[in-house]
Amino acid sequence: MLSPDVVSRIAAGEVVERPASIVKELVENSIDAGADRIDIECSGGGAALVCVADNGQGIPAEQVDMAFLRHATSKIASLDDLVNVHSLGFRGEALPSIAAVADVEVSTSIGDAVPGTYLYMRGGTIQHHESRPRARGTTIAVRRLFRHFPARLKFLKAESTENGHSAQVVSQYALAYPSLAFSLLLEDRVALRSTGNGDLRDVVAGLFGAELARAMVPVEYASERLSVAGLAAPASLSRAGRSHQSTFINHRWVRSPLLQRAIDEAYRGMLHEGRNPIAILNLDLPPNRVDVNVHPSKAQVKFADEQEVFRAVREALKGALARTSVATDSRHISLSSGGTQGAWLVAEATQDSAYPPAAAEPTTGAGSLPPLRVLGQIRNTYVAAEGPDGLYLIDQHAAHERVVYDRLIGRRTGHEIEVQGLLEPIAIELTPAEDATLSTIMDRLTEVGFAIEAFGSRTYLLRSFPAVIGEADVVDIVHDLLRELTDVNQRGVYERLATSIACHAAVRAGKHLATEEMRHLIRQLEASTQPRTCPHGRPTVVRFDEAQLEKMFGRRT
Amino acid sequence: MRVSCLQENLSRGLGAVGRSVAVRSTLPVAQNILIVAEESRLKLVATNLEMATTCWVGAKVEEEGSITVPARLVTEFVNSLPNELVNIEMPAGGRTVQFTCGRFQARMNGIDADDFPPVPEIADGIGAEVEADGLREAISRVTMAAATDESRPVLTGINVEFEGERLTLAAADGFRLAVYKMPLAKAIEGKTTVIVPARTLNEVHRLLGEQEEPVYITVNEQRSQALFRLSNAEIVTQLVQGTFPNYSQVIPKSYDTRAVADVSEFTRVARMGSVFARDASNIVRLLVTPGGEMKPGKITVTAQAEEIGDNTGDLDALVDGKEAKIAFNVKYLLDVLGVVKQSQVALEVTTPSSPGVIRPIGTDNYVHVIMPMFVQW
Repeated sequence: MLSPDVVSRIAAGEVVERPASIVKELVENSIDAGADRIDIECSGGGAALVCVADNGQGIPAEQVDMAFLRHATSKIASLDDLVNVHSLGFRGEALPSIAAVADVEVSTSIGDAVPGTYLYMRGGTIQHHESRPRARGTTIAVRRLFRHFPARLKFLKAESTENGHSAQVVSQYALAYPSLAFSLLLEDRVALRSTGNGDLRDVVAGLFGAELARAMVPVEYASERLSVAGLAAPASLSRAGRSHQSTFINHRWVRSPLLQRAIDEAYRGMLHEGRNPIAILNLDLPPNRVDVNVHPSKAQVKFADEQEVFRAVREALKGALARTSVATDSRHISLSSGGTQGAWLVAEATQDSAYPPAAAEPTTGAGSLPPLRVLGQIRNTYVAAEGPDGLYLIDQHAAHERVVYDRLIGRRTGHEIEVQGLLEPIAIELTPAEDATLSTIMDRLTEVGFAIEAFGSRTYLLRSFPAVIGEADVVDIVHDLLRELTDVNQRGVYERLATSIACHAAVRAGKHLATEEMRHLIRQLEASTQPRTCPHGRPTVVRFDEAQLEKMFGRRT
Repeated sequence: MRVSCLQENLSRGLGAVGRSVAVRSTLPVAQNILIVAEESRLKLVATNLEMATTCWVGAKVEEEGSITVPARLVTEFVNSLPNELVNIEMPAGGRTVQFTCGRFQARMNGIDADDFPPVPEIADGIGAEVEADGLREAISRVTMAAATDESRPVLTGINVEFEGERLTLAAADGFRLAVYKMPLAKAIEGKTTVIVPARTLNEVHRLLGEQEEPVYITVNEQRSQALFRLSNAEIVTQLVQGTFPNYSQVIPKSYDTRAVADVSEFTRVARMGSVFARDASNIVRLLVTPGGEMKPGKITVTAQAEEIGDNTGDLDALVDGKEAKIAFNVKYLLDVLGVVKQSQVALEVTTPSSPGVIRPIGTDNYVHVIMPMFVQW
């Protein structure tokens, strides 16, 4: 048998990886305690001090000792509670684990009338215990982390790195709980501050900037069993990494590949390769539909019905995106200006006031295009058109790609795919790699209307193909599909097919279009729900508004 | 070189050869027109190295000679001249040719005639003679079925088969097949099959104009080139090498339903459908319903474009057989209805997924097969 000392240190290793883990555990405790104001402070990268103070319900004097016993928790009592856990913490591991690897000071009170408790622990044992007055709430200060664990101490990164992790944690909770006021002091400087006015957009403004916050649109989705809410940015604003993507389950910050995939799926075809969407989403679902008890840090989750969650997130975002607008259109998007004070103050920021005050108009269907009047064609590549709000340049190839892509996707949900038969089959010879791919995706190709028969080694006969290809070179399309689809799993194959078909079927740059053809193209683009990007994510439309034109011509300064 | 001719004639000659000028060529001289003054006429030649057109214009030649001049330059200049006598002069061995017409003058820098790609002589080989009228009709009925994309070069050509007293032209682009048979003015021995680029035949058709004299076709021994000799022009063309698909096997031997309808009515209803089909991959659905005791049979044409709308039209037809359904690319349907000269056509259908056949009534020299589109009904 391992001694209790060894057991607690092993367990502590799972919970306390770095100062940020302590921040996380303590902030969660504060939230569970019903606090609406949480102040966090770190110094020495968190190794010297992590201090979290809240105005929550506090710990009754007689229970303070208990809090530091392993698996002592006031949050759940039985196995049934575990299935329906509503609080962030419940394992009863956090405080004892922290106490095992650092010196801990606790000061807590359940109300003004009752005297508070002060506790000082070192090496997991209570050194000092007395009554001390304190306003309602709890303050826990963790000092000298890993002082007796040199091996662990060695693995801590530079102060700035550790502080970065802590800031990330606090940011996520601020995003998850816009109605709580958070402040974070890093090395005595204010790094983050949120007002707790309940407006997620204000929190985003403080974290990511007012401009982005203004451009984001609300996400709202509710079904019988779950709801999705949050903010999402239009596809024109994307990031290389995933730092601007936060997902929460019942306000618990989680990193879920499933949710990430659902987000990507919603933005499919709208972003360039390597770019990631910006979205802050919270899913509310009954606790018994999700298992957060996969890992002590609770950052991983398991869903009872993954498909349901995936669809909900995708649909929620798609709905929101249909309402987004292009970046140049930001003045139409309102920002509910919070209160008296700027929501967040970022330490580096020189301005100490809020982001600029908001414009008045609400976010409306700005994602669609207004009716456009075709003016002409430029370099046989771009269509120039006039809209009510300025001059539009439309990339004819990208625009047509979008139109064809939409048609293909629409066909799939509506009618069966229409197929053009061939009087004489076309023989197609494949490379070994293409041949291998074909065998795996043959069913998918059949689904979209290709009829391909084996005809000798690596030779196939094409007997029919999707009607939407029209007069484009079908053999080229087949080769392209087989090349592009080599590294794709089953998911999204249809969309890729559609993208590739669209690319081939779309009118090329450099082709002269008659006025009637241009009008036809623009009319079809106007009808699209995502007219502003092609399926590859390139823009289809560039707009110069009147103000810009006036500026360029010096009519306005 | 010293020669004079009427502006009208020169302009017509330049227009005749103009389509054969190379558009984008690495060989600059191929963008020129060769002008040769010989034996009381002016010979004009243009080539894009695949096809060469030669045209003769009546002229008064005082001094023979030859030069090539930029095609666009000379054509546009001559077209803008008044209809008077044009004098063309160039000192022997010179490169600059002078055009004079009334009060107008131009000097053009040309390229030496010796640099012009030689037009192949086709004298020996298989010769055939056809009536201009029949050839005009044959070309107009098949060339639209030829493929336009170059991925399968054989299909960009027209399969031309000479056999005994008969000439057969066939074109196919994978979706449709058009076959036209016509008599040769003189029977030939054996059978010869070549593939002529559709572009060449379209050019032959254009140059035929109102010509009434027969056309002489000569194919060289190697079956690599052919000559079409018209009354005042000659076209020499490269032939497409390869084997044309055996098309006779795709022409259905029988049918389950046959509907005879008026061409102009059919065209009108199909054109109406094409308006909506434009947004639906050009698909029109044809429903052939047999007539009853007192009512005639009919063909119903519908087109439906998702989120846009749909339309339906029908026309009376003499229906033989059971009810039938078939969907076509309306462009193909309109193409064939547009070239049929007869007043009625028969539409022959077996199943919705097997080829549909259109034949004019009153002649058996033309058959047009269209592969249907597979749709939900």
